Amino acid sequence: MTAQLRAELLKQRTTRTNLGLLSAMLGFVLLAVLLHGFGLPAKNLDSSSEQLTLVVGWGEKLGALFAGLGAMSITSEIRHGTIRPTFLVTPQRSRVLAAKVLASMFFGAGFGLIATALAVGVGSASLRARGIESQLDGGAYALFLAGGAAAAALWAAIGVGLGAVVRNQVPTLIGICAWLLFVEGLLVGDLIGAVGDVGRFAPGASAAAISGQDPDKPLAPAVGLALLALYAAAAALAGSLTTARRDVV
Amino acid sequence: MPIRRDRDAARSVDEQKRPALVPADAGARDPVVAASSLTKRYGELVAVDELTFSLRAGTVTGFLGPNGAGKTTTLRLLLGLAEPTAGEALVFGRRYRELDDPARRVGAVLESNDFHPGRSGRNHLRALALAAEIPSSRVEEVLKLVELDSAADRRVKTYSLGMRQRLGLAAALLGDPELLVLDEPANGLDPAGVHWLRSLLRRFAEQGRTVLVASHMLAEVAQTVDQVVILNRGRRVASGRLDELTGHGKTLENTYLELTATEES
Repeated sequence: MTAQLRAELLKQRTTRTNLGLLSAMLGFVLLAVLLHGFGLPAKNLDSSSEQLTLVVGWGEKLGALFAGLGAMSITSEIRHGTIRPTFLVTPQRSRVLAAKVLASMFFGAGFGLIATALAVGVGSASLRARGIESQLDGGAYALFLAGGAAAAALWAAIGVGLGAVVRNQVPTLIGICAWLLFVEGLLVGDLIGAVGDVGRFAPGASAAAISGQDPDKPLAPAVGLALLALYAAAAALAGSLTTARRDVV
Repeated sequence: MPIRRDRDAARSVDEQKRPALVPADAGARDPVVAASSLTKRYGELVAVDELTFSLRAGTVTGFLGPNGAGKTTTLRLLLGLAEPTAGEALVFGRRYRELDDPARRVGAVLESNDFHPGRSGRNHLRALALAAEIPSSRVEEVLKLVELDSAADRRVKTYSLGMRQRLGLAAALLGDPELLVLDEPANGLDPAGVHWLRSLLRRFAEQGRTVLVASHMLAEVAQTVDQVVILNRGRRVASGRLDELTGHGKTLENTYLELTATEES
């Protein structure tokens, strides 16, 4: 298993895919935080919940990129055919899947930490620049960083599982984006009366809860973490079971 | 000797008399490759139909047949990438997935382009070596062996088809295996490359190791292999030593065309 993990870590750092994903993440964070930090009127930024949303409110959307990182660790092997030599060397496919989950969580956590740190830095700098007093204390910042890293790692694990089930790269990535940007938006937004508040138990909302933001949907960070971990475990298990059974063509 | 038509007899290659090819102690061991009543169906389509054959150590076997005859499916079944519908395929007496250290026993190339285009040849091999716990010094050895050491740090997307074939072969040779399974390995190789490949395979067999090579290139096959197994529509239509299937003024091509064209539909 350590052998497979080392192989997966090497694979992830020897293409430009992850570097591209990290650049995209940092670009989005910068854009979102700067637009909100300098675009919103000062009176919309003076409470701690508003400042929270400024600093980490984009996290839900960014989840798609972390899930994409995990998904591509398997869909890209299927697309380029490297899954054949991979499975020839390690015919125990669940071992390969587990190594992909761990390697993707490692890169997810690292990138999540970097993206959150950038958001925290730029967010608090923009508040300072406009002379708005920060309502966020050290504990809140620590929760952002730890929560951002944890949520990103779990998103990456969910992505590996989904990618293993769907196999085809483009539908996997479109599915992840459609869920996070559209379906969950409906569940937590427009349909809230019709479907009750199930939306706050959805993966995106659970991930958001880990960092402690969004007081309207009061899932405690620990509950959000546990829920997202459940989603990740279910996705990884589904991916492992389907991969073990299917023929490689 | 007349062509052996054995689609019903289901006799394996090594059941036939081949004194010159079988090493003295081979009878004591499991055949290197053994398929028995191997069958693979995809819905209505029968890709491999009750296929039985086995290979002894120290031989180079050509695996022939038209497109869609079931050659590649058979190789996938042998290598644990696909599950048979019925029957079994064994390597060294076991299912591939049950081999303890498959990379050190079997090397295989199924497609000529199983690489990430953005990864270098060296890193492709390093990832496989890490997973198989093969030292990185062996990566350098196989790179030299296939003459890719000077291009090893370039991304695979810059490689020619022949270079990709050689990189695939390098991956198959990483574990210094006892059995090589190759699907159309000569595609894209220039004449010098084909010559190089042929001598590599012959040397491999002379060391007592075994090669199974699926190919369309009959003229090339005739120069390289000891024996052939010919498939048509998922069934074995002939097998035997090359000199048994040719001769009497017949080339391998004559024999092959006759066998694969006259099969009733």
